[in-house]
Amino acid sequence: MDESIKRTMQRLVRRIPNQLLKPTLDKWGRLTAAQKQSLDFTQPKWALTERLLALCEENEWTAKHIIELEMIYVIDNPNQGMWYAFQLMDPEDDAASVELAQFKEQFKSHLRELVKHVSVKIKKHTDEAVWIRIAWGDGFTRPNHLKPTYVVHHLQTPYVFVSSLTSKQKPLLSQALVLSTRYNVIKDANLSGRKLTAIRDLLMRQYQQVFPTKFPSPLTEKNETVSNPCIEKEQSGAAANRLQMACEAFGDGELPQLQSAVYKLETKFKDPTNKTMTEQEEPFKCVIKFASTNLLESLKQCATSGIASTPVTPLLSSIPLKGRNYFVITDNGPGPTTQMHTSQK
Amino acid sequence: MEIRARSRKVQPHQRGRVKQLEAEAEELRLQRKRLKAENQTLETLKKLRTSMNKQCTDEEVMQMEEDSEDSQLLQLMARHTQLTDLLQAHHLIGGYDIIKTRQGKGVCVSVATNYEGVYLDTYNLEIDLKPKLRISRHNIPPFIPLNSLTEQCNLQSHFRVFLDTLSCHLNAFTGRKQQLKLVKEQQKSVEVMESNVLCSLLVLMLTVSKGKPLVLCTLEYADHTSCLPTRVHFECEDKQLPDSPEWKKNCSLLIKTPVHKALMTMKTMGHIV
Amino acid sequence: RSCLGLTPALTARRLSKSRKAPKSHYITVRQRQPLLMFFSHEKVNPEHLALLLKSEWKLSYVTPLYQFRHTQLKSYSRQLSAFIAAEKQQGFAVEVDGSQSNFRVSFSVVQGMTETEDDAETVLIQVRAGFLRPISEAQRSVWSGWLTCVNGNSDYLCSLPKDFICLPLFGSSGSEVLTTLVQSWFQKMFDCCFGPLEMNNTCLQWLAALWTNCHPESSIQHLKMIWTLPVVPPLQITYTVNPKDAWKLWSSVRKDPCEENKEEEGVSIDIEDVMRFMQGLKSHFYRHFRLDLSAGCLKQVSTALGSATFSGRVKISNSQYILSTLTLLTECALFKMPV
Repeated sequence: MDESIKRTMQRLVRRIPNQLLKPTLDKWGRLTAAQKQSLDFTQPKWALTERLLALCEENEWTAKHIIELEMIYVIDNPNQGMWYAFQLMDPEDDAASVELAQFKEQFKSHLRELVKHVSVKIKKHTDEAVWIRIAWGDGFTRPNHLKPTYVVHHLQTPYVFVSSLTSKQKPLLSQALVLSTRYNVIKDANLSGRKLTAIRDLLMRQYQQVFPTKFPSPLTEKNETVSNPCIEKEQSGAAANRLQMACEAFGDGELPQLQSAVYKLETKFKDPTNKTMTEQEEPFKCVIKFASTNLLESLKQCATSGIASTPVTPLLSSIPLKGRNYFVITDNGPGPTTQMHTSQK
Repeated sequence: MEIRARSRKVQPHQRGRVKQLEAEAEELRLQRKRLKAENQTLETLKKLRTSMNKQCTDEEVMQMEEDSEDSQLLQLMARHTQLTDLLQAHHLIGGYDIIKTRQGKGVCVSVATNYEGVYLDTYNLEIDLKPKLRISRHNIPPFIPLNSLTEQCNLQSHFRVFLDTLSCHLNAFTGRKQQLKLVKEQQKSVEVMESNVLCSLLVLMLTVSKGKPLVLCTLEYADHTSCLPTRVHFECEDKQLPDSPEWKKNCSLLIKTPVHKALMTMKTMGHIV
Repeated sequence: RSCLGLTPALTARRLSKSRKAPKSHYITVRQRQPLLMFFSHEKVNPEHLALLLKSEWKLSYVTPLYQFRHTQLKSYSRQLSAFIAAEKQQGFAVEVDGSQSNFRVSFSVVQGMTETEDDAETVLIQVRAGFLRPISEAQRSVWSGWLTCVNGNSDYLCSLPKDFICLPLFGSSGSEVLTTLVQSWFQKMFDCCFGPLEMNNTCLQWLAALWTNCHPESSIQHLKMIWTLPVVPPLQITYTVNPKDAWKLWSSVRKDPCEENKEEEGVSIDIEDVMRFMQGLKSHFYRHFRLDLSAGCLKQVSTALGSATFSGRVKISNSQYILSTLTLLTECALFKMPV
């Protein structure tokens, strides 16, 4: 058996947690009933790996089969690794009518024109996402299946999500994507995170956003305390107001789980109590990073609890509003009433 | 008597049981009373509503008001249900909810969508009014070309036209999505081979009958403001089949009728399983 | 809990109860930090210095040691080795690369790590492990620790009974089990007790200011501070300031240093300066995010010169400023110590 296939299989089995190994193999469906029975999933991982490698030889599985298994695992467990969002811009007239078969063929042929040795596998997932796995090689080496790039795209949308892409591969992928989706430009969307589902939901607006509406919103009712004497009324009114504003800024229900947001601040230091600093011509440079297991939820709580003043500052509400978590902030020019704006990187 | 007395002694818990049942009966009686009262209220409300709808004379209303304090409340409740109904009608004929926000510096517009009389998703736009109209926040999915719509319709001068066009896109999209949902629910023998987020392309696998080759049916919705396809195409191993009169009829049926209904008809006609 | 006398009322209460030092003097000492205490490298064994700079230290406070003698270190080395061996035989899980290892303890004095006459000399303890007897010098160090007192409050030190030696700051690096063993040996031998030295907001803010103050002589590379805000899930905010800008802000909040120079020897830093510095950083942050950092807890401060965490882990990366850092930590330890 090819040594590289063996290594790929070994690595893959090592990556899949024990409890997921059986369902993933079942879904793959390459094992005979007898072979499946012969696998003892209570065994330690190394023993299982040995057994699977033996089966690999026995069944004469090729790289294609192993890739299939890997894609099943990755598609079912998309919240691993780091995902980066890219945005397609300036569509051609026919961009809205690109369909899967055409996209598949175009993407493969464009990428193969750019890279001599490349292995591309495209799979449509049930939620209408197109999954692309790319194993890169170059003029001299065969595709490296140990470090594949994964690309997820929903046709007819301007977003592409990518994981494990080197800077050398980026222009190649960008060109193939732009050509096959019938757009003209692709750019970094400045959004990244460990959870693909979160960055997708954020950009596709698939989470519960809250808008000011005419009718008493259920949000305020939720917040109402059972016994509500007159004295507390005003206070609880303020709390309800904060909650409403926090929800309008960050959303309600289960929020997309982002892990961090980074702001590079290059703005003037302004403090009425500090004349020396306020008179400085040059901006005050610092980097602020917010981190949490669920950043939007944490920020929302800051606003509801009063740690953050409401209305929420545009800098923070820009995360869900613009679907970004990396910002470079500069002053908008001279003058006393300078507005901070998020400059496009 | 003696026996009863004895049994009472022997099983004191029976007394407890009786008490429990009595309490239950009392509870039920109370509930009946409540329900009766509720029913009465609903009846009155109904009467009030009918009279309101008939543009009743003032006299009648006056008569009601005299009755009691309750009647005032009933009056208000009736008015409320009437307004709710009106609002629904307003949405169904394509009205928008617009409210002022930030002390009049902006507005929030809600565009409700519906398909075949069923309310579907509501989309919202927050719009800054000054210095010029600008959409500041919305929950419209990225595959609806919001930016090009604002340019095409000229948001600044033709706000209403913009909203109507947007509503058209959204209603068509949610309508197609709903059709797809209904196909999946109603037609177990039809397999959805492909669809996309915009629901502008649908590939279905149709079974003519057991043993016969399958038919691959492709529906293209190039007009994104419509719930009906612009092109229907059949593919089959039996090359003759798409050209048969029956399937030509099916083709025009699918072009003219929403897909879930067309499939239903095809099924009744016996063209598919 | 404040360890630097930020709130005079608390300090006074604490003082009147605990030490018989005059209040006013105590506060002065606490508020005036000797600024640049250059380390005379010739005085200290370079090996010892390298060891101090190499590791991150977990800090504890130690109450005064009864009948500790700097002349008895050889004997202490033997006794602690024996103590560890005995504990190991009793089943104490002292495992370092397998259970077969033997431990050898060595005590030594770090000459010159003092500031005043009253400071006791720093004691360094090293535990080496090996498989063979006799254990050679080259064998791997598995644990090290030290006890120090730099610029300890002289009134307090002088008020101690004769048989007590005060080395209030204890740093350790290596296996936790060995730390516990060493501590329990000290407790038995010198009738003292140990406790974790948490570094509160004030202490960490002091360090941030002290390090930033060194920037012109020795670049801090960055000033990084980490806050945690009490929301669910917890929000961590990392604030990294460009070194030049941190220095500019620091200079702007300092009282005119020339004036001070005339009055006393050396430059001093006032707690007010530190507070103004932090307030400046916080208000710049608030202006952008409308989020109040004071609602959170400062968890970590770091620059190229060193880092310190709330949980009491410290790394000092630059030998020049080791004494000023240790002075601050000695104060923290003295303050934290139960009386």
